Order: sequence, then C-alpha cells, then structure tokens
Amino acid sequence: MNAVAQDPSQKRAGVAARAVDASKVYGQGDNEVRALDHINVEFAPAQYSAIMGPSGSGKSTLLQCLAGLDQLTSGQVFLGDLDITNLHEKALTRVRRDRIGFIFQSFNLIPTLTALENITLPEKLAGKDADPAWLDQVIEIVGLRSRLRHRPSELSGGQQQRVAVARALVSRPDIIFADEPTGNVDSKAGAEILGFMRQVVREFGQTIVMVTHDPIAASYADRVVFLADGSIDDELVGPTTESVLDHMRRLEV
Amino acid sequence: MWRVALKGIAAKKLRVLLTSVSVVLGVAFITGTLVLSDTITRTFDTLVVNVNGGLSAQIRGKSAFNDSQGNAQRNRIDASLLDAVRRVPGVHDADVSVAGLGVIVDKTGKGLNAGQGPPPLAFAWSNNTALNPMRLVSGTPPQQPNDIVIDKRSADRAHFVVGDQVRVVIIATKGVSAVYHLAGIGKFGSADSPAGASLVFFTTATAERLLAQPGKVDAIQVQADAGVSQNTLVSRLKTVVRGQPGVEVVGGAAVVQEGQDNFQRAFGFFKTFLLVFAFIALFVGTFVIYNTFSITVAQRTREYALLRAIGASRRQVTTSVFAEALVTGVVASLVGLGAGLLLASGLKALLAALGIDIPAGSTVVTSGTVTVALSVGIIVTLMASLFPALKASRVRPIAAMREVAIEDDRPSLRRTIAGVIVTALGLASLLNGLFGGGGNALANVAIGAVIIFIGVAILGPLVARPAARLIGAPLPSLRGVAGRLARDNAMRNPKRTASTASALMIGVGLVAFVTIFAASAQASIDHVIDSEMKADYIVSTSSQFSTLPPAVETDLRKVPGVELVSGVRFGSMKFAGSVKQIEAFDPTNIDQLFDISVSKGRLADLGLDGLGVYKTTASDHGWVIGSRVPVQYAKTGVKTLTVRAIYTQQALAGPYVISLANYEQNFTEQSDAVVIVKAAPGAAASVRPGINAVLKRYPNGKLQDRAEYKAAQAKQVQQLLNLIYAMLMMAVFIALFGIANTLALSIFERTREIGLLRAVGGSKAQVRSVVRWESVIIALFGTLLGLLIGVFFGWVLVRALSDQGIDRFSLPPGQLVVLVVLGAFVGTLAAWLPARRAARIDILQAITTN
Repeated sequence: MNAVAQDPSQKRAGVAARAVDASKVYGQGDNEVRALDHINVEFAPAQYSAIMGPSGSGKSTLLQCLAGLDQLTSGQVFLGDLDITNLHEKALTRVRRDRIGFIFQSFNLIPTLTALENITLPEKLAGKDADPAWLDQVIEIVGLRSRLRHRPSELSGGQQQRVAVARALVSRPDIIFADEPTGNVDSKAGAEILGFMRQVVREFGQTIVMVTHDPIAASYADRVVFLADGSIDDELVGPTTESVLDHMRRLEV
Repeated sequence: MWRVALKGIAAKKLRVLLTSVSVVLGVAFITGTLVLSDTITRTFDTLVVNVNGGLSAQIRGKSAFNDSQGNAQRNRIDASLLDAVRRVPGVHDADVSVAGLGVIVDKTGKGLNAGQGPPPLAFAWSNNTALNPMRLVSGTPPQQPNDIVIDKRSADRAHFVVGDQVRVVIIATKGVSAVYHLAGIGKFGSADSPAGASLVFFTTATAERLLAQPGKVDAIQVQADAGVSQNTLVSRLKTVVRGQPGVEVVGGAAVVQEGQDNFQRAFGFFKTFLLVFAFIALFVGTFVIYNTFSITVAQRTREYALLRAIGASRRQVTTSVFAEALVTGVVASLVGLGAGLLLASGLKALLAALGIDIPAGSTVVTSGTVTVALSVGIIVTLMASLFPALKASRVRPIAAMREVAIEDDRPSLRRTIAGVIVTALGLASLLNGLFGGGGNALANVAIGAVIIFIGVAILGPLVARPAARLIGAPLPSLRGVAGRLARDNAMRNPKRTASTASALMIGVGLVAFVTIFAASAQASIDHVIDSEMKADYIVSTSSQFSTLPPAVETDLRKVPGVELVSGVRFGSMKFAGSVKQIEAFDPTNIDQLFDISVSKGRLADLGLDGLGVYKTTASDHGWVIGSRVPVQYAKTGVKTLTVRAIYTQQALAGPYVISLANYEQNFTEQSDAVVIVKAAPGAAASVRPGINAVLKRYPNGKLQDRAEYKAAQAKQVQQLLNLIYAMLMMAVFIALFGIANTLALSIFERTREIGLLRAVGGSKAQVRSVVRWESVIIALFGTLLGLLIGVFFGWVLVRALSDQGIDRFSLPPGQLVVLVVLGAFVGTLAAWLPARRAARIDILQAITTN
C-alpha cells in the first residue's frame, strides 16, 4: 500500500521524519534504563504510520523525540531534511508551530477558548490567519460545524478530540504526531477519529505518525512499526487488527 | 491531621513563603514602630531624668488650665522668693530657672534648630551642678551681662570657639536679636547636646531681662540636704508660699513624671500615625492570606475528599487547614519580628530624610513589643484562614472521584446581599463619624472605611468578570492570542481575580484618597490666599518652636515703603469650660491685610475687651453683636469680652479673634507666628530689600510674597504627602506579593494548559505575555476599584471639612493617571517571577503527567 502513489498532488518524495542511531538513556549505572537503543527508523510522507509496542517499549519516547519535545541522549532526528536534534528552544518552538501538529490522549484543548479558537490557535500564535477555504474543509471533515462556538467543557470527549484533530490539520503541518489519540474516548468516537485521520492522509497527503497500544487503532494505519525494549522489532505494511494482534502476542511472549 | 498539615507545608515551601511575606511585612512594620517609639520614649525619659536628676522640689506658678495642645500655662513667680527658700531647713541649695527659646545664628547667618526638629532652647545658667546638667568643656560660666554658654553640638556645627561673637535671636516678649560673647562651651552630661536641641545660657539677670522680665522667673529649683525626703521638703516649702494662691510646690519626682508624660502626649500622635500604617499593611495582608488559603483549599479539594472518604472528620479537615495557618503565622511572625528590628532603623532613616530627626539611643525591645507583634501576626493569619478552613471541611467525600476541582464561581444572591449590607454599614459609620461629630468621630471614620473596603471586596466578584472583559478589551488586538488568553484567564475565576485585586484596591484607594485630599486642601489654601490674603508679604518660620519675636514687627514698620504690618499670635483661652485656640492681630486696618468678610460689627472696634467670632460659631452659641462672653485667661483670670464683630471667612482667622493689645495684656508669652506686610501702592517690589535687611537680624524668619507662600504651603503638604506615600507603599508592596502569589498558584493549576500551548507552537515570550497581561488586568481592576473608593472618600471628607476651610474638591488628573500607570506597573512587576516560571514549564512533563 503506497499513499504517495494514491495522491497525485503530493510532490514530496523521500522521508518526512527519521531517527538515526537514536538512543535515549535515563539514569546512570545500575539504574540505567535504555528507552531507545540505537534506533534507525524512517517515516514516509503522506503516509499514516503507527508505532506499537508493549508498555515500556519506548514508543512514546520515540514519538516525543521525533516531535522535538524530548532530547535524545545520542543520535539524530530529522524532520524532512532539517536536523532538529540540537535546535535551540526558539527554533524548536517555531518548528512545532509551523511544521508539526499534535494530538494528545487528553487535555488537548485550552478550556477558555471556543472550539473554533482552539482549532486556529497555532495560526494565531504565529500571528497568521488560517486559510479560510482549508479551515472550512477541515471543519467539514471533522463534522464540528454546529459546535464551533462551544467551549471544551460543553463538548463530549469525542468532540474534544475531533477539535484537537482539526487543530492539528488546519496549519497543514509537514507531519502530525498523535499520542494515543483514542485512549480517552469510547470505541465509536475512537473509530470516527481514526477514520478522519486516515481520510486526510488519503485525500490530502497529510503525514501522520501515531503511537497506540490498540490493535484496532493500528489497523487504520498504512504501516505499523513495532518496538520492543527500545529497539525496532518488526514492521507491518497494510496491517489488519488480526495481523497486529499476532505481532503483539509474539512480542509479549 | 497535624502530620498531614505539616507535610503540606513542607511540600509547598514557596507557597508558604509567598503567603508569609504579607504577615512578615505587617508584623515587621508593627515591631519597627513599637521599637522605634519605645527607643525614642526611653531616650526622652532618660533625658528628663538627667535634666532633673538633682531636683528635689520645684516652686512655680500654678497652671490655670492646659492650652489646646495640652501644655500647662503658668505665670512667672518673683525671683525674690529665692532668699526665703534658701533659709528653709533641709534646703541644701536653690536656684532660679528661667527658660525660653533662643536661636543661635551661625557664621553664615543661618539659625541653628530654626526649622523642624529639636527646638532652640535658652536658659539662665546655674552654678549648682546638681540642678544644672551642663558641664563646661571649655571657657567659663557666663559672668558678664553679655556672656553666653552654648552646647558643644551647636558650637561644633557652627565652628564657634570660646571668645567668638555669636548672634542669638531671643523669641520672647522683649525678644531681640543681639550679638553676645561666647564665654564657654558645655556638654549635656556626657552628650554634646540633649537629643539634638540647641542650648544657649545667659546670666540670671540677662535671662530674666530677655526671656521673662526683671525680677520674674519661671521656677525656683531646690536641692535638698542629704536625708531629707521630697515630701518633707515640699511641705516645708509650702509654708514659704502660703498666701500666694498662684504659686505651687511640687516634688522633683513629680516634675520628672510630668516631663515624661508631656513627651508621651506629644509623641503619642507620631506613634499612632505609624501604627495606623502598620495596621493598614496587615489589613491588606489579611486579604492576601485569605486568598492564598482559598485557592489552595480549592486546589486540594480532592485531597480533602480523599481524607474524608477514608474516615477523617470535618473537624480534622478544618484542623489541618488551621494547623497550616498556625505554622505559617508563627514562622512569619517570628521572621517579621526580626525584620522589624531592622526596619526600626530604616524608619528612623526615612523620617530623618524627611526632616524629622530623631535622637540616637540604644534600641529598646520590650516584652510587650514581642507579645503584640507575635500575637497580631498569628491571630491575623488564623482569622484569614477561617473561611477557607470551613470551606475545606465542607468538601464531600464524593469529590474524590471527580476529575478536577471546580470552584463555584456563579455570583450568588447571598453574596450580593451580604456585600450591600456590609458596604452600607461601613458608609453609615463613615458618614456618622464625618457629619455626626461626637467623641468617637475619628474611630467611626476609620472603622467605616475598613468596613467599606471589606464590603467592596465582597461585591468584587460580581463585577470582576465584566470588569476584566472591559479592561482587557484592547488586549486581543494588541497582543493577539496571548492577550486573548490573558483576558480569558482573568475572567475565568472572578472570586480569585476580585480578592487578589482587593488587596491592591486598599493601597491604591488610600493613595488616591490622600492625593485627592491634599489637592483639595491645596486648592482651598490657594483660594484663601488669593481671595482673603490682601498683604503683599508674609514673614513666617518653619517651626512652632522658633516663632518671631515682636521686635520683628516693630522693625518692619520702620522699613521705608511699608504701609501696614501686623503680627499674628495664637493662644488658648477658656470659653465656658472648654479651651479654644484664639488668634490675635492688629485690628486697625486689618481689612487691608486680611479680608475675612466681616458681616456684622467692625474689627477695628475690638479694643481691649472685644471679641470677633466666626458666623457659625456665633450662631451655635446664640451670640450677636454686643453679647457678653465670659472667658478665662491663663495669666489674668476670668474676664468678660463683648462680641464686636462677626465674620464669614475663618480660613485665616479661625473661630475667635482678639486684638493684639488685648493679647499683650493677658498672655504671658508674646511672639508672632507670622507677620504680614503690605507695601505702599507701587512699592511692593521695592520694599523687599528693606525687609530682607531686617530679617538678617532674625534669620529664623522667612520672607515670602503670596506666590512664594502658596508654593511653600504646597511644599509642606507635599512633604507630608510623601511621607504618607512612603508608608502606603508597604500596603501596595504586600498587594504585589498577593498578585504574584495568586498567579503562581494559578499557573500551578494550569500547568497542562501551558504545556499544550507550548506544544502547539506558543513561544516562551507568548506564555510570559499571557501571565503578565492577566496580572495587569487584575492589578488594573484593583486600581480602578481603589480609585473609585479613594475619590469617594476624598469627596466625602472635603464635604465634611467644608466648614473648616477645606471647601474645594479637586481631582488632580495627572496624579490619578500616574496612579493607574503605577497600578499597571505593579501588575507587570508581580507577574515577573510567575511568568518566568510559567515559561520554564517542561512541556513534556506538563502534557504527560496525569
């Protein structure tokens, strides 16, 4: 399954994000924990990738390092051609604002802002206005038109997460990182959110990297990378719930 | 539960520290005030003992009544009594005492101690070393009529040595300015001068002539033989003065006591003045503590619910909050006590910088100071935590299951009603105090003001949200999404915003009030000088101790081009049982110097037994022209005056006036507070050098034309205002900490939000901006509330005092704008650390911790 081939508008080739010989070590001596152990991994543009693995496999650490939220102990992280490993705080902030979208498990929204204001927050932080046509399209995709003036406390968990998806989409980032995006919502809402994410990859060539421990969620992806003990164990292209489950069982044995 | 509370404190050291600051500052202020005033009191008490150390008994005139400042008014006695006193058995020695005021003039022509501060004193020299605390360090005692001895401090300051010619201005009836021969320089015991006073001593004969009148003295000082008690001596001396009803004999111990009491009375005002500001600081601190505990209790709702769920009783929860308050209160009060000792020297320096010099002395820390400071600090902390503690006890166990603690922020009807009632009660007390009069007027006003502040603080949350919306309205367009978030945060929890702002409201309210009041007073003074003062020049002094001898008036009359001159004197008289201040001036042609709008009768008719009365005073007593009014003079006793004039402007004249001739006959001391001068037409400018030439001989006198006089008055008002500003800064400072504290706690609560903001691309600068502008909104809200209250207080006070010469309400727009800017600045400053802290929040931790 090749997402690039399915989207003719996508001109970028190569790699959206990659980790080169990436290691992350916590603690020292006997207490040393290797969360990432000399990992080499690449994520293709316009692809929906999932990172899976048992608890403590380093999957969240990998995502956080790829997204510039955490620093590697050694190795490098590239966003496209940009080496973000040693970027300064200010430059990193700009990269996050202009090139990355985030979807977290929960507490994804600023409670004092309305749904619409939350969606346009990254653009506003950059002092820009969102492209109205694209904004309109995003709102349409996530189905929030009737909820735009509501505050997060007036939205259900699923609706809040849809706002978060829209916020990640609206600035058309090079890559969206999602950390257990369906971890806090019921299965119906979860399926909807995963559906939107797959839709934007297919239709608009958006790149998404998602961490999940849920085989159903992983089955929405084009490709699943399996982590175990800080190393890449395996990967699966065109996963199904069953094939993912099989892999997981094998990893946990 | 104690352990829970203590762990809570240990875990939140910064919060405890910030909370404590308000208590520390308040307690420090109280300690500083008490220590400073105890130290000053002890210094003066010791001084009084030293001056009268060898005094066994004193013979002096009886005081008919105390003047309006509470000082005894005595007639002088005959010096000839001295011989009879010396013959009394048990009297070792006796000498006369003549005291007055005399300004030593330095080599550049400036008077020493002629301004504010310690007085310029003049005495007759006594060779009795038990009765005279002075010890010569060089030269001899005064022997010739022209000889003087001065204190070492003055000699050093003015670089005088024995043998110099020294000019001294005597401020008394026969007061003259003359040059004397410096025969000796002395120390006061071991000090160069007693508490900074300047001293000049003459021979007894010269002192009688200059300070009193020949043959008259203020008192006879008696030193007893060894073994003769003061009581025995006093009763023996009484036989000497039998048949002289105006003379009394008192023991030395009683004289010491009187001296100490007099000082206490004069100084009590100063102590009260400082304590008022200390309590203002604590009052503001109460709001800060209340607010901090409210927020932390709300943040720990789940913790309390959990405690309740596992079996803690309500009382135990309340106790744990109280325990935390108690520990905070004790620690903060102890630190405040220590800081207060430092502050005492700071206050001393501040007062010295403002021209109020206080003598040195070793610091006095009484057990009373420690008790008061500690208990006030602890009680205030406990009181402020009362409501939060009760609230904590009402947390229901079920709240442990809830996701987040949500403060109930709906404006309730109960709050509205409570706020309106409290504010109304405060208003009633304030207005009753201002307009109802009565003995407790001042207390009523103060209590009323405090209650109004509390009432407005209760009502604050009702308007906090719309006010924050309004104040923050320009922010979204100025600061983009950061401004928008700042405004939203300020609106988010109206209770928190309002009670944080309340602390600043009090400080700003008082600053606005005194600013407006001072501006109104100044406008009123200017108006009076413009409309009532007809004289071209005013000669005055800068101290109540260095008034002008009558010779100044006499000499000014001789200056070519001067048309009219009148001295103005003040004194106390007893009217129907109560002592009143009266003013005396030369009534002939006075209307060309003062226009006090005489509506009935004529001031020129005052004569020796006439009385001029302010219209309202006259109507209060039912007096009309020709009414006969019995009065008592301290010197000459009961007489009857006739009302000869009624006037409608009292700003310059006060409620009662008499003629200078009358004053000269019936008052012991004769000296002018001011001398007013009118030049012949067209000569206003040309007489100035002539007047200045006269004042060369009387360097404590200041010549001012009307504009200069106005400016000098304004300067005085400004000086007092600066002192009050400096004191109120403490309250503003505490409020600043309160805002910082609230912000820090809010940021702690919003860690995840801030992390999210940073994750989606918010810069550190943007996060700081959010915190800073929220702080500015809160500060401006407090400032505006304070301005509102301050303007109201100022207006009400001016209305209340319109009868006493302050009748112009003036809003100084420039100063009020400055105040608003200052408020915004306080907000910026308060946000400084919290904003940095918010910007440093670790994004990963913020968004991953649950």
